[in-house]
Amino acid sequence: MRVLVVGDTEVAVQVALGLRRIGAEVTVVDADGRRAGGLGAAGPPVVVGDPLVPSVLERAGALRADVVACCAATDEENLVVSLLAKRRFGVRRVIASVNEPANQSLFDDRWGVDQMVSPASALIALISREEPGAGQPPAAR
Amino acid sequence: MRVVIMGCGRTGSTLASRLDGDGDEVAIIDLDEAMRRRLPAGFHGRFVTGSGVTPAVLEAAGIAEAEAFVALTASDGANIVAARSAREVYRVPRVIARTYDPVRAPVYSELGIAAIGVVQTTVNRVVHVLRHVTLEPHQTFGNGDTMLVRSAIPDYLAGRRAAEFAVPGEIAVVELTRSGHSRIPDASSVLAAGDELSFIVAAGSLGRLRSFLDGRWS
Repeated sequence: MRVLVVGDTEVAVQVALGLRRIGAEVTVVDADGRRAGGLGAAGPPVVVGDPLVPSVLERAGALRADVVACCAATDEENLVVSLLAKRRFGVRRVIASVNEPANQSLFDDRWGVDQMVSPASALIALISREEPGAGQPPAAR
Repeated sequence: MRVVIMGCGRTGSTLASRLDGDGDEVAIIDLDEAMRRRLPAGFHGRFVTGSGVTPAVLEAAGIAEAEAFVALTASDGANIVAARSAREVYRVPRVIARTYDPVRAPVYSELGIAAIGVVQTTVNRVVHVLRHVTLEPHQTFGNGDTMLVRSAIPDYLAGRRAAEFAVPGEIAVVELTRSGHSRIPDASSVLAAGDELSFIVAAGSLGRLRSFLDGRWS
């Protein structure tokens, strides 16, 4: 399985390391290369470049990737990269992380997203379900 | 016209103020509430705090009824996402986005968003002004139907033949001055940096000659 992990976040680093540990062929795209250090010398290859530029994604192997995981720090980056991955590179499976729950409704096939993960929404739902008087959790999607 | 502008920086606030002055109904979005101070005192439009990426923020700005949407933030990603939502979800008829990075421009056109590349636009404009040649007639003939004009040759035209300027019935190259010596060029005369040329030009072809000298060979 070939996975492209996009983003300069701690989540991206951990996803890359974790997938590599289970045998996936991982490449990381990091806009400024600052996070690359956290991957260690034996870590997965890092392509430093702006992921909103199609040639950068191509250099990172987008055409051969089975999965693209968008873990950037902003929702706009994740959405644009998802769309490029699906539309331009025909990636089979595009997974994106939602930063702001208010943007969650954007993360669907219109932006090329097959599956999304929204940590903040998940936490809110968990807490509101178990704390009396915390109100109703947001509607699950 | 109802216009939603995203980004209340220099360009966004200036555009908002201009459209407001023209009588348009303006709503302007910015992440930073403090940017409101860039709007003029008598501004009639609305200011909405938030990110235009977020659907609820676009909706609060009236995107559903907007006739135009302009994305002018410093983030190309945010501009792309908001502009595409405006176009495809809210069916705004006119959508314009600014892009800083020229290499990202193809992404916009692929998504059907009219993008104005500020860097490219500024560079093109500066190059045009740098290369633009003013042509003043030295002598006119008849009722100004034809005229004699002289122009220094821009350096980038060095190596081209003087005869390339000639257009039958419109432009004739009649003289070449190089290092203080004047001569009549022939079909094989090649231009060098610093040359000056004299042309006889039909009045209606002055613009064509100017575009030759500006580097727009058609």
